[in-house]
Amino acid sequence: MNTPPSSPRPTASRRRFLTLSAGALATTALTATGCSAPEKTSASGRASATVGKDLTKIGLDYPFTQLPLYSTLVKLSKAAAKKHGISLLTTSDNAGADTQATNLKTWVTQQVPAIVSFPMVFEAAEPIARQALDAGLIWVTYGGSLESQSADIKFSFREGGTLLGTAAARWAEEQLGGKGKIAFLTDSTIELGRERTKGMIDAFTKAAPGIDVVAQEQAIDPDTGLSRTKALLAKHPDLNLVLGITDAAAYGAFKALQQAGRSTDDAKTFVGGQDGSAPSLLAVKQGTFYRASAALAPNDIAAAIVDVPRAVAAGKADPSAEVPITLVQRGDTAEIDRLLAQNA
Amino acid sequence: MTTADTVLSRPRVRVLATGGLTAVRRHPLIVVLAAMVLVFQLSTGSFLAPANLSGIATDAATLAIVAVPLALLVISGYLDLSVGSTLALGGLVAGRLASEGQPPVVAVLGALAAGGAVGAVNGVLCCRLGLSPFIVTLGMLTAVRGLAQQLFPLPLSGFGSGFAWLGGAKIAGIAAPVAIAVLVLAAGALFLAFTPSGRHVFAIGVNREAAHLSGINIRRMPFALFVVTGAAAALAGAIKASVLDSVVAGTSGAGFELAVLTAVLIGGVALTGGSGSILGVLLGVLFLGGLQNGLTLLNVPTFWQQMTQGVALVAGAALAYLAPRTGR
Repeated sequence: MNTPPSSPRPTASRRRFLTLSAGALATTALTATGCSAPEKTSASGRASATVGKDLTKIGLDYPFTQLPLYSTLVKLSKAAAKKHGISLLTTSDNAGADTQATNLKTWVTQQVPAIVSFPMVFEAAEPIARQALDAGLIWVTYGGSLESQSADIKFSFREGGTLLGTAAARWAEEQLGGKGKIAFLTDSTIELGRERTKGMIDAFTKAAPGIDVVAQEQAIDPDTGLSRTKALLAKHPDLNLVLGITDAAAYGAFKALQQAGRSTDDAKTFVGGQDGSAPSLLAVKQGTFYRASAALAPNDIAAAIVDVPRAVAAGKADPSAEVPITLVQRGDTAEIDRLLAQNA
Repeated sequence: MTTADTVLSRPRVRVLATGGLTAVRRHPLIVVLAAMVLVFQLSTGSFLAPANLSGIATDAATLAIVAVPLALLVISGYLDLSVGSTLALGGLVAGRLASEGQPPVVAVLGALAAGGAVGAVNGVLCCRLGLSPFIVTLGMLTAVRGLAQQLFPLPLSGFGSGFAWLGGAKIAGIAAPVAIAVLVLAAGALFLAFTPSGRHVFAIGVNREAAHLSGINIRRMPFALFVVTGAAAALAGAIKASVLDSVVAGTSGAGFELAVLTAVLIGGVALTGGSGSILGVLLGVLFLGGLQNGLTLLNVPTFWQQMTQGVALVAGAALAYLAPRTGR
């Protein structure tokens, strides 16, 4: 259309762009491939020099700072720590495994007495946890277990998926007579996602074998959930169910179905997700076809972030904690209100 | 048909054929796009279904709205990598205003102001102070994301039916985002083709010193393009917020800067500045949108999708790179 002849120009900009692109790709690859927790490792519960002393500081290292849960957790954990006269430190990892390692090493060097960390790469966190224990610090692993640790805070990620899949299958059997179409919005890039995906799909397909699985699409955010579901609806306009690995992705599917003309309370449609994010909880509460969310209670997590290191410091025999996941559905108004209040 | 008609029509056919060939030579992506559409239609049977085309167009609209001003900026020899975070900020500002009961126009104006402000900061730092646009906008990408998360730590949702108009209304049967994108594309093409300022964009991109010596203000135009790019990104954010009826500070628009830059570059805009076209940008946007949609329709497994997208993008970029040489 309008292309004057190009003239020879320095290529510095292009070089800079390529350098950055290579760096970004490397980081992405590390993030995508490295977020794997070992299946099961035994907690060693090694003795710490901090045991028997009052804790004054806890370092909370939660790498996914882009998630709304991060802000909520920090706020609630700070409040929980304050009740016990403890100050809460936080890292800013920006979902970067290398940044996380650097920040954790800094804390170990600075002798932060108790560290609660959600490792992005469990293998990379292992030597840092060992250094922390060797330095007499408390190390609490969040979302999994390491060989070297004082205790852990566990979630059954698979259970969240199983709860959702089972509820959706029950609905499909009752409302659709066991016949219909389902699409799963999944995640296979990190262990948490794989566990949730497996729990969700296994539970659903086992309990509702007559429902046709028409797609398994990678989607964790609302934008992707929206565009993938729109495409699926072009091929399967009679799609009945969409289950999401996250509430965010499922919410995108919810909007796509609405924009395709489904009435908000369509009796033959079921959308469900996981996390317990505010927009999804509101949609469930309002009686829409967004019918279920496998929710984590931020208050329970925040309490564990403070209580588990305190239990280690107090020398308790079994200081670890397991945070429950609750399935909320239409009618669970009190529970939804409680979760919404925690997210406020 | 009379003999006179036949005589008259021959040159017209020849002109059309020559024009078509020239367009294909300049934009080989047209052939790739046509082949892609054919393959997806034959293998899925639903790629060209009106509902699916409407979905592709709506998804691609936000990309096009930002790609046009960004392309002009790149043609003038600059770059803006902060558009992903600006998109999030725009969506959040619009969403907050809408959820507080402000009219949709006020919400959109608020978003435009926020995006324009980010663009103005980029413009001052790059055009007035002469700092590297690569470094400045990369820094702003992080800074604006942090600002958005600080100001809006929790997701916003429930913006009301008035604001839903922006993402869901139909104008003469066309979805509002698509209509806006068409306007932006037309404005960009007309600006480049028919205004002196459009020619100045090329001149600045080809040789800044020569443009300066020719009497062109080499700071004002790129500064204005930075502001317009920021405002366009914020408008795209407001549209996305309207379509989804929700927006999350940490994830909204994440990676959007690479998607839009990819569309611009495979559309044949030279990263070194001085060359490019709006038709190329449109082709780049349609190629990206169509590819993603087709792979979803084919139910291609995730990692194969990533590989296919990567290979297709490299191939598209290679074609775009080779095009000017074959055109000479």
